[in-house]
Amino acid sequence: MFRSVLIANRGEIACRIAATLRAMGVRSVAVYSDADRDARHVRVADAAVALGPAEARASYLNVAALIAAARQSGAEAVHPGYGFLSENAEFAAAVEAAGLAFVGPTAEQIRAMGDKRAARERARAAGGPIVPGAEGADAAALERAARPLGFPLIVKAALGGGGKGMRVVHDRAQLDEALDSAARVAASAFGDASVYVERRIERARHVEVQVLGDGAGNAIHLLERECSLQRRHQKVMEECPSPVVGPELRARMTDAALALARAVRYRGAGTLEFLLAEDESFYFLEMNTRLQVEHPVTEWVTGFDLVRLQLEVAATARLPLAQEAVAMRGHAIEARVYAEDAARAFLPQAGVAARVRWPRAPFVRVDDGLMSGDAVPVHYDPILAKLIAWGPNRGLALARLTAALDGSLVHGVISNLPFLRALARAPEVRRAAFDTEWIEREFLAGFAALAQAPAPEQALAAASIAELLGLAREESGDGAARAGAAPTPFDALGAWRQPGLA
Amino acid sequence: MSTRLVWRDGDRVREVELAREADGTWRVRVEGSELVVRVEPAGRGRMRLVMDDRSVLAEITAAGERRFVQLVSPAGATDFVLDRATQRRRKQGAAGGGLEAPMPGVVTRVMVAVGDAVAAGQPLLALEAMKMEHVVRAPHAGTVRAIAARQGEMVQNGVALVELEPAPET
Repeated sequence: MFRSVLIANRGEIACRIAATLRAMGVRSVAVYSDADRDARHVRVADAAVALGPAEARASYLNVAALIAAARQSGAEAVHPGYGFLSENAEFAAAVEAAGLAFVGPTAEQIRAMGDKRAARERARAAGGPIVPGAEGADAAALERAARPLGFPLIVKAALGGGGKGMRVVHDRAQLDEALDSAARVAASAFGDASVYVERRIERARHVEVQVLGDGAGNAIHLLERECSLQRRHQKVMEECPSPVVGPELRARMTDAALALARAVRYRGAGTLEFLLAEDESFYFLEMNTRLQVEHPVTEWVTGFDLVRLQLEVAATARLPLAQEAVAMRGHAIEARVYAEDAARAFLPQAGVAARVRWPRAPFVRVDDGLMSGDAVPVHYDPILAKLIAWGPNRGLALARLTAALDGSLVHGVISNLPFLRALARAPEVRRAAFDTEWIEREFLAGFAALAQAPAPEQALAAASIAELLGLAREESGDGAARAGAAPTPFDALGAWRQPGLA
Repeated sequence: MSTRLVWRDGDRVREVELAREADGTWRVRVEGSELVVRVEPAGRGRMRLVMDDRSVLAEITAAGERRFVQLVSPAGATDFVLDRATQRRRKQGAAGGGLEAPMPGVVTRVMVAVGDAVAAGQPLLALEAMKMEHVVRAPHAGTVRAIAARQGEMVQNGVALVELEPAPET
C-alpha cells in the first residue's frame, strides 16, 4: 500500500478520503486554495500544501501546481475525488508521467469514457442499449442531425457530468439558445465546448451500477443505486438498492455494466448510468470514471469502503474481493445538503456558515466538510454535506434520514435543508413513485409556495425575543454554551445590542 | 412597556410588538394575534418557547441584519430567514425586480448597452457561479439607463446590475 496519498480535492469529499487514509494508516496530503486556507479538509489532513488563488482554474484545476504539491509532499499516489480534475485525462497522464499512481482509471480510459459521445460508441460496441442521439461538428450540423429525433431533446456537454451544461429542449425555437448556452457552460466548466443531443425518454428513472475493475479485463459490480430524485439534472437524494429493481432486472443491468467495464479493461471504481424506462427497458447514459458523490449508500449496503477498494486496486492492480463477497444488506438513502435557495430556482448561495450542526444518531452517517464559522466560497460546487441513513428496509432508512434532516442546522448561508425535509416527507418519495423529472414537474411548485408563505408567529416571536434578550445575556446562565468553540445565539446576542432597543 | 420590532420576511414587512410581564412571560403581538410565551434557555444556545398547550425549540443566529431561525417541534424542523428592517434597503431604488444579482457570481456576458431598448423577457446579462449560469432578463419593456457590471466582474447577491427605465404605457 502507498505510504502517502495526495487528495486533489476539497470540501466533504476530501475529508471523506482523508478518513479512509487515516483508517488505513496512510499519510494524507491536502491541497488548498487561498479561499480554503482554514477549511476543514485542510485541518483533518496530515499535511497540507497551498495551490494558489481561489479561482478553481488557478488552484484545484491547476495540474502543474497539483503535481508540484505531490512531489513536494512526498506523496506516492493522487486521489482526485470527484469533480475538478477527477475525469481529466491530461491530469491522470501527468500524474503517472510524474511517477505517481493515479487512483482511478488510465488516462486513455478517462478519455474514451469521459467523452460522452465516444462512450456511447463503446457501449454500443459492447452490446449495451443506448438512447438515440445525434452529434455534429457545429450547431448547424447538430441541428440537422437531430431533426429525425423529434422533440423533446436533451442537449449535453460531451465532457460534462453532474448535469452541468445540460438543457432540455421542447421545440425547435429553443434549440439554438440551448446549444449556445450549453456550449458556453461546457467550455467554462469542462474546458471543451463540444455538445451533443439525445432523445428524451419520458418518465424514466436514473439507475446506475457501481463497478470495480482491475485494469486487466476483470470486473465486479457492487449493486445499483437509484438516483431519480433530481432537480435541474442534479441528484439530490440517492438510495441503494433501487426500490424498483428486482433480482431479474438487477442481473440484466449489472451484466450490461460489467460487459462494458470488461470490454474497456476498466481500472478502478466506476459507475455506469442507465435510464430505466417504465417497461423495464434500460439505456446506457454515460460512465463516470471516478468515485460518485452518492457512493456512501453503496458502502453501507455492501459493507465495503469504496475509497479503500480504489486504493487497493491502484496499489496492487488486483481486485481485492470476489463478486460472491458482495451481498445486499438493508437499505441506505443519502441526501445532499447544498448551499442553495431551493425556493428561488436553486440559486447557489455563498457566505459564512456562522452556525452548523450535523445530526448524531444511530444509523446515520454524515460526510461533511463544513463546521461553524467556515466560509462557503463562491468559487466551487455548493455541496456542504451528505447525510446518509441506513435501515433494515427502505421505510426505516427513510424515517431515519428524515429525522437526521430535522436534526441538522445550517445558519449563515441559505441551505436546501427545508427542501430536503419536505422531499423526504412527500408521499411519492415514501412510495418510491418518482422519475427523474418528478421533482420539477410535481413537487417544486408546492414546495416553493410553502417556503414563501409568511413565517409563523412563533418564528417572529423567537427572533424578536432573542433580539431583546441581548440585554439579559448574563441572566441566561448559559455558561456551557459560551465555553464551546461554536458561536451560540446567546453569544451573538451580546453583539446585537443596539441603541434604540433598550 | 412594549417594544416594536420590524422584520422583513421575504417580500413582506412584519411588525412585532412585545412586552415582558412582571412574572417573566412575554406577550408577543404579531399583526392581529397575540402569543403569551415563557422562555427557557435550552442549553447549547437554544431557547424553548413554552406556550399554553405546546412548546417549541428555537435557535437563532445573527448574520449582519439577517436572522436565521430554526424551530423544532415533534412535527419536525423548519427554518426561516428574517431581516431586521432597521434601514431602508437599496431594493426600493432604481433597479426593481429581476435586475439585481440573484446570486453571488461572476458576470460572464453583458448582452445590452446603455440606451438599448429592450423587450420584456429579453436577456440582459449572464452570471455564473458554481458552474451554474443564470440569465438576468428584463422584467418589462424599457430602455437601459445604466449598467453597473462589467464582464468578468464578481458581484455580490442583491447588487443592482442594470437600471431599466420602463417603456411608456401604450
